[in-house]
Amino acid sequence: MRVVIAEDSVLLREGLERLLTENGFDVVGSCTTGDDLLLKVRSYSPDVAIVDIRLPPTHNDEGMQAALEIRARHPATAVLVLSQYVELGLAMKLLADSAEGAGYLLKDRISDVTDFVAAVRRVAAGGSAIDPIIVSTLLSRRRSDDPLDQLTPREREVLELMAEGRSNQGIADKLVISLRAAEKYVSSIFGKLGLPSTGSESRRVLAVLAYLRS
Amino acid sequence: MGIARGPKPSTIWALALAGGVAAASALAFALTNEAIGGELGEPLVIAVLSDWVTVSYVLCGLLAWWHRPASRFGPLMVVAGFANYLTTLAWTSSDISYTVGQSLDFLPPVLFLHVFLAFPSGRLQSSFERVLVVAAYVTAVGLELVRMMLGGFGPHNLLEVTSNPDAGLVAVRIQLLAVSAFCLIGVGVLAVRRLRAGRPLRRSLAVLVDAFALALVMIALLFVSIVVGWSPIAEIRWATFAALGLAPVAFLIGLLHARLARSALGDLFVELRGDPAPADLQDALARTLRDPSLTLAYWLPEFGTYADLDGRPVKLPSEDGRATTLIDRDGAHVAALLHDPALNDEPALLEAVTAAAGIAIDNGRLHAELRARLQELRGSRARVIEAGQKERQRLERDLHDGAQQRLIALSLELSRLEERLEADPEARTRLDQARREISKSLDELRAVARGIHPAVVSGHGLQVALEQLAARAPVPVRLNVAVEGRLPEHLEVAAFYLVSESLTNIGKHAEATAATVDVARANGRLVVEVADDGVGGADTERGTGLRGLADRVEALEGRLRVWSPSGGGTRLRAEIPCAS
Repeated sequence: MRVVIAEDSVLLREGLERLLTENGFDVVGSCTTGDDLLLKVRSYSPDVAIVDIRLPPTHNDEGMQAALEIRARHPATAVLVLSQYVELGLAMKLLADSAEGAGYLLKDRISDVTDFVAAVRRVAAGGSAIDPIIVSTLLSRRRSDDPLDQLTPREREVLELMAEGRSNQGIADKLVISLRAAEKYVSSIFGKLGLPSTGSESRRVLAVLAYLRS
Repeated sequence: MGIARGPKPSTIWALALAGGVAAASALAFALTNEAIGGELGEPLVIAVLSDWVTVSYVLCGLLAWWHRPASRFGPLMVVAGFANYLTTLAWTSSDISYTVGQSLDFLPPVLFLHVFLAFPSGRLQSSFERVLVVAAYVTAVGLELVRMMLGGFGPHNLLEVTSNPDAGLVAVRIQLLAVSAFCLIGVGVLAVRRLRAGRPLRRSLAVLVDAFALALVMIALLFVSIVVGWSPIAEIRWATFAALGLAPVAFLIGLLHARLARSALGDLFVELRGDPAPADLQDALARTLRDPSLTLAYWLPEFGTYADLDGRPVKLPSEDGRATTLIDRDGAHVAALLHDPALNDEPALLEAVTAAAGIAIDNGRLHAELRARLQELRGSRARVIEAGQKERQRLERDLHDGAQQRLIALSLELSRLEERLEADPEARTRLDQARREISKSLDELRAVARGIHPAVVSGHGLQVALEQLAARAPVPVRLNVAVEGRLPEHLEVAAFYLVSESLTNIGKHAEATAATVDVARANGRLVVEVADDGVGGADTERGTGLRGLADRVEALEGRLRVWSPSGGGTRLRAEIPCAS
């Protein structure tokens, strides 16, 4: 899988390059600015672009702007945004239309190499990766008279993993249950929340996030 | 300024009596002289009209003199009255008195012109006016003398040298036309004066007096009509006389208007006892002095200049033709009044008003000075806040770009190391532990950085930042941000901390199940309101949290209010000035 990285911290950028290379990715370019990133995406058409949300010159949201532009103009390239903080509004902006080939993770996640590499693969393959913190903040602000209360603790766990963008198999692996059991939980959750069950996993992510946001 | 010494009562009475005697004698002249009145109508009518002018000028002049001793206008009117009387000597049959009276025959219109232009000070205001009036006197009396020398005035004319009626006719025409011209020029002078003064001050009064400029036009019309040979209309003459006689009454009313102003002094005293604000003081002074254009300027010793209520420097003397009265105390400047020059004729009133207002003016000046300093202080405080803000922002960025990134990179390295040490479980465990430590450090560092400066606010604005706070809040939050566009950064940061602290407090103390956050901009203020449905009973003085919030809001000249009845939830409302 071909990757482009935009990250202005040298240490982190080189760390990412090594990490991804070691795990079988082909890092075709790395840069420090949004403009550079757009250029590289245009030239190399990578499978995924990994973008720091804050990039020079202002360190405000140049990275996010670049990410949104890639989403709009180069749908073939997936985008994984890395952020120092949970910026819910930005995450939702990124996922406004679809969660396909989009991810938003805290930078800390990088150090959990296995999970991080899996997330990059998932996003590059057209899936999604939403930081658990975002999911849990969305969950925590639900009102008390909520259909979510009807979920069992296990179903809640499954919901969170689903919202993070994991596949049924991924959920099964994470919870150490059978694929069959995971599927049962998922359809039960959809039934309780009154969501239409949809085939694609990333459409599912968006539906769950939209539900949590409402 | 001293109060001018007025005439003695005995002088006034004597002059009034003289006026009465003069009027009576003029009446007697008219009724006893058969030669009088052929062309003017009934002798009685003429005598009454002439006396009306005489008495009117003398009495109004005396009243004006009595009430306004500082002005020369009163004496001028008295002189005009007696001069008018002198023309009636032409009705006598004594050679000398006839000659004197006849030689002054054309004097009344010129006197009227003079009085009119000299209103209200009694002085002509420019050398042009003085030339005009002198020329009018010379023409009126000088040509009359020439005419009398040319004969045709009957047996009592002592000045007759030759008898040349044709030359006399030419002379009288010149005389009529010249006096008409002078009267019209006088009207022009008046018009120019009004234009130059800009808006007519003391409007009603000015209009009343100006109306009598019509009398000057009437005189001119009358004289011109005689020259071109229109048959003289007696009623128009009478009307002109009547108007001439009515004018002094208008002048007197104009002058006494100031007298009324003195009674307004009483009101001023009452108002001053209420210690009026500077703007009110200026209004009160303007009312008392009946000059709506009056400006009160304070002396600012530090700046070495006078300044108006808004602190704008005022140049003295003023360039727009307004007069200045300085108010000094103990040899030092305190303030100045810029006013209508007409007030200069009432020095006593001005002095009384400024003396009465002295203390209030002093207060007002201190007030103005205080405000100026406060303004300065505000400016420097804003600069300090701004500088602090910038510094915090820089620190946060340093932390973000430096320490945080390094820690993450370090953690990443440890992970990669961990993967390579599959054979050594103990080393793996220890590496994993180290990674967790780094993760905790990162969390702490993040909290510190956010406390120093909420980067998300400057990066993405209040709305996004508050959404994030709400999402992270310990209870469900209904967030409503009604603010268009971006606000000045220090306001956004203040609002962010306000909401952040409040939500933290709710989590710690309120035992609430829900909270609402409303941020709106209204009437030049940013209003932030945070409410919960918890146990209430929060105390601004006890908890450092609320006190700190209040300090933060007050530093921005805002106000923080907290309602927290026991058991009734807590509502916190901050209003911060926010120029739009």
